[in-house]
This record gives sequence, structure tokens and C-alpha cells, in this order.
Amino acid sequence: MSAPQIPNLLLSPAGGRSRGGRGPGRGRGRGRISGRANAAAIQSKDLDIQSTDTDAAVSRLSAVSLGYLDDPFASLFVNGPSTRRQPIINRGTYARTTALDILINAFLSHEPLSTDDITPTRQIISLGAGTDTRYFRLRAKNMHHNLIYHEFDFPSVCATKRQITSGSRSLSMQDDSMELFAWQENKTTEEDQEPAWGFARREDSSDIRYCCHPLDLRSLPYTPPMSLLDYFTGVRSDIPTLIISECCLCYLEVENAQEVVEWFADRIESLGIILYEPIGVDDPFGQMMVSNLAARNITMPTVKVYKTLDDQKRRLSDLIIHTTDDGGAQEAETVGNIWEKWISPQEKERVDNLEGLDEVEEWQMLARHYAVVWGWRGKSGWENWEALKENQ
Amino acid sequence: MSDLDRAIAQLRACRPIPEAQVRELCHKARELLIEEGNVVTVKAPVTICGDIHGQFHDLMELFRVGGDVPDTNYLFMGDFVDRGFYSLESFLLLLCLKVRYPDRMTLIRGNHESRQITTVYGFYDECLRKYGSANVWRYCCEVFDYLALGAIVLGASTALEPRSAPYDRRRSTQELDDSEVEIEVVERDGSINNRYPRAKPGVVATPPQESPAKSSPTAKTGPPGSAASGWSRGTPTSTSGAVLCVHGGLSPLIDGIDKIRLLDRKQEVPHEGAMCDLLWSDPDEIDGWGLSPRGAGFLFGANIVKVFNHSNNLSMIARAHQLVMEGFKEMFENNIVTVWSAPNYCYRCGNVAAILELAEDGLGESAHPRTNGDINRSNGIVLREDKTLLAGPARRYRVFQAAPQDSRGMPAKKPMVEYFL
Repeated sequence: MSAPQIPNLLLSPAGGRSRGGRGPGRGRGRGRISGRANAAAIQSKDLDIQSTDTDAAVSRLSAVSLGYLDDPFASLFVNGPSTRRQPIINRGTYARTTALDILINAFLSHEPLSTDDITPTRQIISLGAGTDTRYFRLRAKNMHHNLIYHEFDFPSVCATKRQITSGSRSLSMQDDSMELFAWQENKTTEEDQEPAWGFARREDSSDIRYCCHPLDLRSLPYTPPMSLLDYFTGVRSDIPTLIISECCLCYLEVENAQEVVEWFADRIESLGIILYEPIGVDDPFGQMMVSNLAARNITMPTVKVYKTLDDQKRRLSDLIIHTTDDGGAQEAETVGNIWEKWISPQEKERVDNLEGLDEVEEWQMLARHYAVVWGWRGKSGWENWEALKENQ
Repeated sequence: MSDLDRAIAQLRACRPIPEAQVRELCHKARELLIEEGNVVTVKAPVTICGDIHGQFHDLMELFRVGGDVPDTNYLFMGDFVDRGFYSLESFLLLLCLKVRYPDRMTLIRGNHESRQITTVYGFYDECLRKYGSANVWRYCCEVFDYLALGAIVLGASTALEPRSAPYDRRRSTQELDDSEVEIEVVERDGSINNRYPRAKPGVVATPPQESPAKSSPTAKTGPPGSAASGWSRGTPTSTSGAVLCVHGGLSPLIDGIDKIRLLDRKQEVPHEGAMCDLLWSDPDEIDGWGLSPRGAGFLFGANIVKVFNHSNNLSMIARAHQLVMEGFKEMFENNIVTVWSAPNYCYRCGNVAAILELAEDGLGESAHPRTNGDINRSNGIVLREDKTLLAGPARRYRVFQAAPQDSRGMPAKKPMVEYFL
């Protein structure tokens, strides 16, 4: 698309407050339940799932406030003062964030072989990103110049993030070469839709660097107008692309989650994926987790199918690897092993000293029930992941 | 009805008592505890309990399973507070019972009975929430400083006390004379889950194939590294000794019980040193001493325990401090047991809980009298090479689950158990 076509909705006050608010009703595919009562129940469930983002943001701020993580943006996405989480939750937030940092930094980093060897551009697509601050953190570390970053989440979540971002100088003005845009992606209706928004380069506003796409991901595979990648502002098919799902796909029905990943896999050749979700739901701890979350109206259909690290690796192999045979692999670690193996002794000591962690057995049990799973296909763009694998 | 009995009734209903009353209670409790030594002597019969962690409704379940106070003589090995929603009610009830029935209730200090830890793990916040100020937290912390560091149980029988009638409904298939049984595991409904005979000298007992947590087959394995399997087997000797109860475990600075008696305990739990170790250490499958992943206390291996038990004339150490999925776990050829009394710990872990009953010596088969560090205490008994000498007292573990959801009376809002979402 060309730049002049993109209206800057942020400039119009009305646009700034527009809400999608259409929720799951947008889905036109199979398996949709009709009836008002059901619709209300589904909507309530969606809100409970969306609340998991608030939960995650609070956990992140807790870990940041106590010094586990460095994230100057965490407080911007939480209302009110920081809530202190349990030490094992803080440590888990730390271990999971660090694991993703390691994988993502490896994906983005490039050792120039010669002076005219320019850093190739990479793409990240974060599913159910919510109020995640990762893009802003990468930008603060100057790691955003050869990166195109996309987020997909419910329209209401995107709207909140847009309001917070446009209202904060540190989020919106951090890089002078970029400017905010907002743009109606869904051209099929005239209604007041939540726009896609993000940052484009000031000197070439068709050069999208960051974009939040308001979308109920569940409907993605079933919505014909979206069948082309082009539908989504700035998403490219020709560069190495990493899909991230931090506790997002686990809330979808198993088949639906599979179709969402396949949707991207069918359209992007050089593809990697990182999943972060619970495993081991069959033992007493896991059963209790399922029942405690069910009491909060949160169900995770996929965890009943992918119960072990091996299940998860097979899942990735089935999803993305079978379409190519020129390289790739699947890896998986529990958060407990990541803490043990990936964090240096000095760093462990620093983190240990922040609060003292008395609940060793509980930590081990909790950390055994969460996994980081990653896989990729292709060679070019994934050399660093290949190296990580060999180093372990 | 005295004020104290009224306070007990109110706390049993899980309702906090007024601040002024807490202050008075804590004052009385301190006067009582100041008279106790660092190591309290307790006569069997006694029921030994592990961590409670503010799980008030599960504490009530514990009393239903173990018998009420003062009918049952209780010894709680610390960690009354933090983590659960009702640390305040749980601790104050235990303290009321202590003041009301001083010789039927023994409370020793856990690592959570500390100012620093309670500010991190919930008790401080709970007091602030329930009273609007930190006064009650301060009164309680002053009591913490006076709690004993350990207890010695004397006069425990090597034979199980016969079960009262209701527990005889369902006899185990393993028909053993009560006097031959060293360990019995009893379920909540009174049915016997498992009985392990006392091994005869020279006969190596085979570990039972079955986990005591029969009712929940998936609960068989504990966390890695904890080697929790929940099984126990009979000790291969016939002489018995005293049982040391302590929250965490041993200290490299403590080679005898008399050394514990010499500590100045009336202070906040220090970050290091003997007092800290007693409350923080854990047994582990290592040789000698090791660094603790908790950042306080030490890890100690089988040989440390065996030498300590031998030189102090102990048959066993009972301790708490570590979550075990089956509620109890004996280690190092029955030289040490972990007792855990908080079922479904943190409303999250899915574990069962246990309490340990030691019967009174009524048949002349007394546990060996304690002589604490007396060099010539062995009465001619020859220490064997493996240093497992003194037979443990007969032990009945009562295993129980979390109080049913409907009786738990959770706070108005649903319990928010934290996960990564």
C-alpha cells in the first residue's frame, strides 16, 4: 500500500476512542454457537481470557519493581501501584522472559562478515501480545532498526495499547525517525472499527516497523477477506519470521490453534515459532492448576493434548516442518531447566538475593509445569538457533 | 465461659479477635514461652504436625483427623503463618490453645515465624488488611521470638497404640499383631492404607511396593531431587530412643542437643548460624554438608543424621519445612522423617497432608530414655558399622486431604492462585 492512503486516525479525537468491541461474533467459520445466552457466556469467557493479559502485566511489573527484570515500560501498562507477586511467580516471570530474550536476541543478532555486510531484516509476529512491552524494549536497546514487529490481539486490547502508547512520550516519541499511524485494515464495513496502528518511518510512511492488528485470532483461518497476507498492514512473506505465542494459543481450541499457525506457515516460507505454555496437566499439581483456572473461567484446551515436552516438539514438527526439508528442528525446555541451565551462576545469585526464595519444592513443581518450545524451518536466518542447539 | 474460651470459640469460627485481645493473648503467651527451654521436653503420646501456612480450614480438618485439644497432645513444628489466606486466625487459635492448655500444645518455631519472611510471604499484609495497622503483626512477631527451637519426645512406645473402634472397621489385608507393626498409614476414613512390620535383626526389610498415597495413584512421585516416594520400612533393630523435633534440620555448628540449649533464641531469626540452620536446613541425598538452594541453612546427608542420632541417643528426627506430596517421607533408613500438614499447599500443589502419632509406652517397651550427649549413654549397645542403631518408635501416620471446597469458606472473592498466564 502507498503512504498517502493511510489516514492518521490518531489526529482525529473520535478515532482515538473507537472500539472494536465485536469480539468473537466476527468469526464466520465452523463451530460457532448461536443464541444470545451462549453469546453472552462466550463474551464473558473472552473477557476472562483477556484478563490474563492484565494478570501477566501485573506479574511483569512485580518482577520489574523488585529488580528481577529491567523494563522501564512495564509500569505504563498497569493501572495503580505495583502488586507484589510471590517470589516463585517473580522468578518464573524472570526465567520465562529471559528465555525468550535469549531466543529472540539470537534470532535478531547478526555478526557482519565484512564491512559491507548489512544486517538482514527480520520479522516478529506476536500472537495475543496484549500489553507486552517487548517491542519497546528492543527499541530502547536499538535493536529495532532491522526489525518488523507485529502484534495480533482482540480489538479492545489493541485499543487500550494504542491509547497508552499515544499518551506516553517514552512510548510514542522514543525514536524520532518513526511516527505513529493508525489505519483501518478492515475495509469491508463502514462501521466504527478499531484501526490497526503502529510506527512507520517518518521519511517513508509505507515502511511499517511496528503494527498492532486488532483481530480475534480465532477467526483468522475462516475469514476469506483475510486470506491474503497483504490484508494485514506491513506483514511480509519474504523474510525470516518468528511467531511468538506466550500463553495465547493455549486458550484456543486445539484445531483452531493449529489452523492459526498453519495460516502463517502456508504464507511465510522461512518460519520459526516460540510457544510458552503449561504442560504436565495430568499430575496432582497439573490437575489442581486446571481446576483453579477453570474456577476463573479460564480453560486451556491445548494443554490437554500437548502434555509433555515431546508432545510439544511433535506439535511443532507437524505444524511447520513437514513443508520443507532443508533444515530446521524443534526444541523444548521446562522453565525449571531454563532457570538451571540458561542462567549464569552470577545472575542466579543476583536474582536469588532479591527476595530469597524459600519455596524450593514449590518452585521446582511450578517450573516443571511450564515449557518454552521453539522450532524453525529453513537455514538462512536460523543459524544462531542452530548454534544455540549445538551449544546445549 | 472465660475470655480465653470465647476467643477460642471465635477463632474456631475463623473470625479474628479484637486487637486489644490479641495484645493480651500475646503477652500471656510470651510469659509462658519464656519459661520454656530452647528444646522442650514432651512426653508421648503426642501427635506431631508439620507446616500449616495459614490454611485454617485444613487445620480444622487436621483436628478432626487427629482429635481435638486437649484430648490429643499436639506438637506443631512451625510455619503456622504465610502463604494461606488465614495465617492470623490459624496462629492465634494455636496460640490460644497453647495458653489455655500449655502442656497439651507445643509450638516450635519455623523459618516463617520471622519478621523478614512474613513481610514477603503474606502474614504482614494479612494483618494490615484485617486490622488496618501493623500492631497485631508486631505482637505476633514478639511471640515468634520466644518460641522454642526444638522438642524432644520421650516415652514413645515401640508398639502402636490400639486403634479406637471406628478405625477397626476395615482391617488391612496385612494382618499383623499391633506389637509387630512399626509403621501404619491410616486414611481419613480410618481405613488402613499400609502397615510395615518391624524388621527382625539381621533381616533386611523389603520396601513396600505400594505408595501410601493409594487413594491418589498419580501422587506417587515427588519433586525431582526430593526423592519423595512416601514409603518407609521397618528399622532393623529393637532398641529405641528419643525423637528430636525441629522445623528444618541440623546445623554443622550443632553436634549435640545441649548445644541447642545454649543458644540465645530470643531474637529475630538470624541470616546464618546455628539457630538459622535449625530452622532452614534440609536433608538430602548427599555426603556430608552441602549448600542449600534456599540461600539459608544447609543440606545434610545420611551420615550426618546417623552420627547425630547416635551420639544424642535419638532414634529419629522429625522435621517439617519441605513439601512432600504424600504428606510424610522417611529417609536415611528411618533416621529422619519429614511431616507436612498443609494439604493442597497454597491451594495449588495437589498434595495430601499427614500427621505423625507416637503412642505412649504402656507396655514397658519404653523408648530409650534421653541422656542428651552423655558419652557413656550406650548401655553396652554396640554401634554397628552403618550406625543405625536405635529403633524408631512405632509410628502411625494419618493422611488427609484438603478440607472440602464447600466448607472452606473462601473469602468473598474467589481464591486467586497465581499462575503464569
